[in-house]
Amino acid sequence: MSGLPLDPSAGGGRFPGFDVMAQSKHWDEVTTSVVVSRLGMPPDIRFFRGTEEATASALCDQLLDQKNPPRVPVVNMVDARLADEQTDGWHYDGMAPDGQSWRDSLAALDEDAMVHSGCPFAEAPWDAQSAILQAVLDLGSKPWHGTPAARIWSLWTRYACTAFYSHPWAWDEIGFPGPAYPRGYKNLGVNEPGGKNNRLEPFEVADARPAQDPLRKGNS
Amino acid sequence: MNSVRDRNESAWLLPAGPGINHRLRADMRHFDDEEEVDVVIVGCGAGGSTMAQRLARAGWSVVAMDAGPFWDPETDWVSDEAGSHHLYWTEPRVIGGADPVPLGSNNSGRGVGGSMVHYAGYAPRFHPSDFRIHSADGVGTDWPIEYTDLKPYYTEIEEELPVSGQDWPWGDPHSYSYSPNPVSGNGDMFLRGALACGITAKVGPVAIANGRFGNRPHCIYRGFCLQGCKVNAKASPLITHIPDALAHGAEVRADSMVTRIEVDERTGKATGVHYNRRGSQRFQRARMVVVAGYSIETPRLLLNSASARFPDGLCNDFDLVGRYLMVQGAPQTAGRFDAEVRMYKAPPPEVSTEEFYETDPTKPYKRGFSIQTVSPLPITWAEHVAAQGHWGAGLRQYMSDYVHWSCLGALCEFLPLPENRVILSSEKDRHGLPVAQFNYSQCDNDKALMRAAQSVMEDILHGAGADEVITIDRYAHLVGGARMGADEHSGVVDGDCRSFAVPNLYITDGSVLPTEGSANPALTIMAVAARAADRLTAGGSGSPADRIPVPVRRGATG
Ligand SMILES: Cc1cc2nc3c(=O)[nH]c(=O)nc-3n(C[C@H](O)[C@H](O)[C@H](O)COP(=O)(O)OP(=O)(O)OC[C@H]3O[C@@H](n4cnc5c(N)ncnc54)[C@H](O)[C@@H]3O)c2cc1C
Ligand code: SF4
Repeated sequence: MSGLPLDPSAGGGRFPGFDVMAQSKHWDEVTTSVVVSRLGMPPDIRFFRGTEEATASALCDQLLDQKNPPRVPVVNMVDARLADEQTDGWHYDGMAPDGQSWRDSLAALDEDAMVHSGCPFAEAPWDAQSAILQAVLDLGSKPWHGTPAARIWSLWTRYACTAFYSHPWAWDEIGFPGPAYPRGYKNLGVNEPGGKNNRLEPFEVADARPAQDPLRKGNS
Repeated sequence: MNSVRDRNESAWLLPAGPGINHRLRADMRHFDDEEEVDVVIVGCGAGGSTMAQRLARAGWSVVAMDAGPFWDPETDWVSDEAGSHHLYWTEPRVIGGADPVPLGSNNSGRGVGGSMVHYAGYAPRFHPSDFRIHSADGVGTDWPIEYTDLKPYYTEIEEELPVSGQDWPWGDPHSYSYSPNPVSGNGDMFLRGALACGITAKVGPVAIANGRFGNRPHCIYRGFCLQGCKVNAKASPLITHIPDALAHGAEVRADSMVTRIEVDERTGKATGVHYNRRGSQRFQRARMVVVAGYSIETPRLLLNSASARFPDGLCNDFDLVGRYLMVQGAPQTAGRFDAEVRMYKAPPPEVSTEEFYETDPTKPYKRGFSIQTVSPLPITWAEHVAAQGHWGAGLRQYMSDYVHWSCLGALCEFLPLPENRVILSSEKDRHGLPVAQFNYSQCDNDKALMRAAQSVMEDILHGAGADEVITIDRYAHLVGGARMGADEHSGVVDGDCRSFAVPNLYITDGSVLPTEGSANPALTIMAVAARAADRLTAGGSGSPADRIPVPVRRGATG
């Protein structure tokens, strides 16, 4: 089960006993070294400067709801990519490349927080931070500090989600077994509700609460 | 099977099991920069590698360059989403227009094997109607060649990849040499939903053999096709065409970024290419230049090769280079089931329908779309969820539900428009070259197809029993940018891929496609390249250079 603290009512504990890393002896060496490196000491911050680190940390905690430790070190992973310029290459016409857009948008968040809470973003209370971010999302394609808000939002979430969902603890939380080479999968097909037609591999764990559909009416 | 092996021995040149033939690479022939080779090829992807293999077999001296590495799947690729970032072309590019198209991971690859290293593996043919959409529907343009011109090459390449699938009822009905692969949870949901809606869906066509092929092993259904197949089960030119090219004396020169094509002002012929290899600037002489860098880099290279004779870019006398670039509208719709679908198991490409491919006279739009299984892994799935506006606690909860979702993707035929194009940006890359700016805006027909495809996917998923559906708008599959045409006013190259402006300059990649149908393009790109090679090498004797066809007379010269 995932080492991350997530309440059952928020989707935690759906795959009791599922442990991705317990299977790592079945993975190839190259993949194992890449995945295991994410579990070691987080890389030092090299890209974010001064207060940017605090703002970026608070932002990443918000985006992935990592209120309490242990956390996936999302901010360090984002920072490492930006420091290495490991971007997707493209950027929008009229918008700076990713690294500069991160800096600009962190500064803009602090400005918003000063107006909203009278302090930098990182020092604002959790709920105030959430409100500031929701306001950015709600702007949609309208400009936020001079750039369409949706483009900034997608920049943040792309980097933050890539970091978080590359981590084995996150895979534990969602029932995904991670690397699959050289073993592969043997049992293909739909696992019907109620354990009918079990197509799980011996190391996969069934969802303990299959009806916890986040979208089901009355459950959201 | 023997006839395939006689034509292309690649699958038998690989070791039994995963891995590469180290001997073959160590023994690879090397040419001097000063040696005038018969042909230098720019880019070892779908089109470039096919060309290299065909021309090497015909006895030509071939140097095939690629900006990226000569991959060893065992050591260079991982069974991991985030760890596969190095497979994509991530040099800087700028995107613009009313509907900008993100590039990077979603659109183009680098290194020997090209974008097919991380393509999904669908290998459908275009339909006969694709070649004549202007005549039939008054939209887009007609190709200078017909389906029947490509048909023999479709069959050849399908055998060489090879492609597996059920008998194919759409377009020009045909069958495959390999039976379909078994279907996983996601494919099963598609088949159920299609059945419920009265829509025909078929398993395939996928460039993954259901069984061994030569020394290539059987697929292990691990689901990481978009991260490069470490098993050697999924076809890419790295394993389907490059080994045979090497065995026939071709040189693959990796880590070599071509920066400029040189044209002799006096003869009007290409003389070779300037390239940057590990920091040094070099020039390879060649009797013929074949460009195969794909729809962004091919136009960019031509534009960056401007000269006194071609002040607006090589082959750009009629302002066509970079224009009529297309993507397919690729909305993806996912459905939620109480059952566990676990779509990460098995290759993402499994099941498709082409029932909506052709123009339906009862609809307000022209042309159509296809629908296929897509099966995103967690990071890509998080993008779907985030696109619905979920973040923080909502996102985590939604993501915990991953195993219950099934996901389909459509490919909508977008029309070729002149303003959808590559131009040179004022920004420079690390070689000091202007980077490509790619502008995209959709027309009304494009938008109508996106919504129509979404509603069919929703029907299918509801038909399979989904209680909720969500959709994300995406774009896939670049083609065009240096299209073929009947003459120099309508195309950069002719139907044989020879440029109108420079008689010994060919373009054999996705950029020559005038339209893109609703089919994934790699098979067609390879078939077009195989045909071009065949036309170049057909009959004739003497040195390859003698076989270069006599140039057609150009109109105004600049
Ligand atoms: C995620 C994804 C999934 C896809 N799925 C499918 C699918 O299922 N089916 C399908 O048919 N298609 C699919 N495609 C598209 C398909 O891979 C491409 O259409 C096809 O590979 C393009 O072939 P090409 O020869 O034009 O270019 P590429 O295969 O991209 O090859 C171009 C090569 O040229 C090199 N190059 C470029 N510029 C230079 C230069 N200046 N100097 C030296 N080298 C250079 C690049 O490094 C690259 O290796 C997918 C693509 C992506 C990104
Ligand atoms: S699912 Fe099959 S084809 Fe795809 S990467 Fe895995 S082994 Fe290769």
